[in-house]
Amino acid sequence: MLVVENLTKRYGTLTALNDVSLHVRRGEFFGLLGPNGAGKSTLMALVAGLRQPDAGRMSIDGVPCDRAGAASATIGFVPQSLALYEDLNAEENLAIFGRLYGLTGAALKARIDECLVAVGLQERRRDTVKTFSGGMQRRLNLAASLLHAPKLLLCDEPTVGIDPQSRNAIFDLLEQLNRDGLTIIYSTHYMEEATRLCSRIGIIDHGRIHALGTLDELLEQLPSREVVTFPRGSVAPGLAAKLEQFGALHERAESRELHLRADVRLAEFFTATAAAGLPDRLFQLKRPTLEDLFLHLTGKTLRE
Amino acid sequence: MKLVLTLLRKELLLFSKDRVALSLTFLVPVVLIYIFGAVFGVNRTSSGPTGIPLAVINESAAPEIAKLVEALRKETAFRVVESTTDENGVARALTETEVREGFKANRYRFALVLPADATSDETFGLRLKLLFNPRNEIESQMVLGLLQRTIYTEAPMLLLRSLEKQAASAIGRVKTDRFYDEMAATIGRSFGLDAAKVRESMKVGSLGDIVGAKTSGSTNGEASNFLERVIKIEQEQLAGAQVKNTGATRAVGGWAMMFLLFALSGSATSLFEEKKAGLYLRLLASPVRPSHILWSKYAFGILLGLVQLVALFFAGRLMFGIDVTSNFANLLVICAAAAVACTAFGMLLAAVTRTPAAAQGLATLLILTMSAVGGAWFPTSFMPELIQQLSKLTVVYWAMEGFAQVLWNDCTFAELLPTVGVLLGIAAALIGVSWWRFRTGPVFE
Repeated sequence: MLVVENLTKRYGTLTALNDVSLHVRRGEFFGLLGPNGAGKSTLMALVAGLRQPDAGRMSIDGVPCDRAGAASATIGFVPQSLALYEDLNAEENLAIFGRLYGLTGAALKARIDECLVAVGLQERRRDTVKTFSGGMQRRLNLAASLLHAPKLLLCDEPTVGIDPQSRNAIFDLLEQLNRDGLTIIYSTHYMEEATRLCSRIGIIDHGRIHALGTLDELLEQLPSREVVTFPRGSVAPGLAAKLEQFGALHERAESRELHLRADVRLAEFFTATAAAGLPDRLFQLKRPTLEDLFLHLTGKTLRE
Repeated sequence: MKLVLTLLRKELLLFSKDRVALSLTFLVPVVLIYIFGAVFGVNRTSSGPTGIPLAVINESAAPEIAKLVEALRKETAFRVVESTTDENGVARALTETEVREGFKANRYRFALVLPADATSDETFGLRLKLLFNPRNEIESQMVLGLLQRTIYTEAPMLLLRSLEKQAASAIGRVKTDRFYDEMAATIGRSFGLDAAKVRESMKVGSLGDIVGAKTSGSTNGEASNFLERVIKIEQEQLAGAQVKNTGATRAVGGWAMMFLLFALSGSATSLFEEKKAGLYLRLLASPVRPSHILWSKYAFGILLGLVQLVALFFAGRLMFGIDVTSNFANLLVICAAAAVACTAFGMLLAAVTRTPAAAQGLATLLILTMSAVGGAWFPTSFMPELIQQLSKLTVVYWAMEGFAQVLWNDCTFAELLPTVGVLLGIAAALIGVSWWRFRTGPVFE
């Protein structure tokens, strides 16, 4: 559905996007995972036609995404900021944005009703937006992007600064929309969000897509399948060094992580630790995460 | 105490980093004081009006009337206009008909008609006609006073010549000369002057300097009453005679313009607020383009400005009895033109600044300056020549011209068109600059 080819965008001397290419298929829930400043918002802005790329092309179903706005009717954009008129009520806000897409009269009213019900704000439709909680404002922000029934929804970190309950409500809504056939591109720096929501994920940093695929495909790129964690100080430094024969040892704030090599069997590892006098209860086993992959690909954590 | 000092230090640190606050506290007041000083002419050695156009139609061939015109030319308050050029570029004397037309176009607000029989051999005295448009009360009073002073200063000489002509006609040249020789001797004795020089002065018409000085010292006395009896100044008000509340009609346009400028510069800064709220991201991701946003802002500003101006004029009608309905269609036209120009000004502020605070600071500076220079507070004719020329670059000046034409001169649409054209021209120039800045600036980035 969305085709991005060799996209480059510079701001002065800073290259925000560097030769990015990706394809997003119809009905996908595509995640863009990367830290702040990775280039996620720039990519979203380019696809939404808000900015002009320095090089490369983008199209949605063959229609170019550019500032002329040819593809704008097919795109719904949920900006990171609360792009709402705070002094107007929910209904008035939605009416303004709906009219921009040519909705009028009964059709507009029907869509406003549908969207308010979808985000659970039908009871607050006549309340001014500034009286809403942060979570409610975020939900209305999402509703405003759905009025014209877009084919592609661009969500640029739509849950920033809200409580877990509101976040879950937004997740549920997005999942439902995706099940109903809406293609979604979702940018975040929370690996939990990408893991929960996205069917395919692109890992982005410094304006480059470092990896692209389903969660399993991405984790396949890690040299280890399992990670063993143990508290710092629980294992003598000399003994810890010996554990490195089973994989790569990483220091964390309160723990150490041993990323087991793909060829190491767990039984082999635990036999060795038991022989060294280390009880099994010291060790916790976990699946590698996107955080581990990001660390592996970029040498830093998502929060750095 | 330590905590207070810490907080004080914080206040100073924040203030020192706030460039807008620094500018508004120090730079803007200094600039405004300088501008107001220039507007009020505080450095001028002379005060009062300068360069007020005064049309003079001299139909008299009498040399003493020529002396009066000469005296008017020397008066710095006036810019005496006596001639015009025809279609071939040849200069010729103004006619009264042309001057009356010039009043409608506001080229003149004062004209002095010196008829062919301003002085005559048959009658003693002086006949003049003053045409005037008192659309500005202070200016009118000042001009009428200056005209009276000049005429009365020259009057004794004029009357002397008039008397001499009549005497020569009645009793013969020889007896008249003898009479005047004796009178010169008497004056010479009375003022301690050389009688021969006095007589010579009487012949060339410069005796008025001596006698004028005496009469000007007793303007409320007998000399003044005498002059008023023998100098017939016919006054004809060419505009504004129908105006009900002259003071309010003159003033309300200037006040309205100032408030309009503040209102529209405020609404233009909403561009920054909408950008900050991220609304342009949503709007520009829809079929909306930057030009749509800008045109909607212009349209809103014009509508707001038009409604505000009309509302203020109707408030003036309710409070002060200003007649806004008798020429309402033209009032709407000039209000619309003023609203267009003020909106363009407000949008320019948003285009050339980067923050709402900077826009508001610049707006305060420019609006107060334009109001002062443009004549919203007091007549431009009281300002130095340079400031008078600069005032014609301001929206306030031309809007006030238009209001005066409609409310004071009761002008027609055709007569109003040039003023409307200037306002729209200024608006077009401001919009052009703004548009370029919006295209290249940060607002829609």
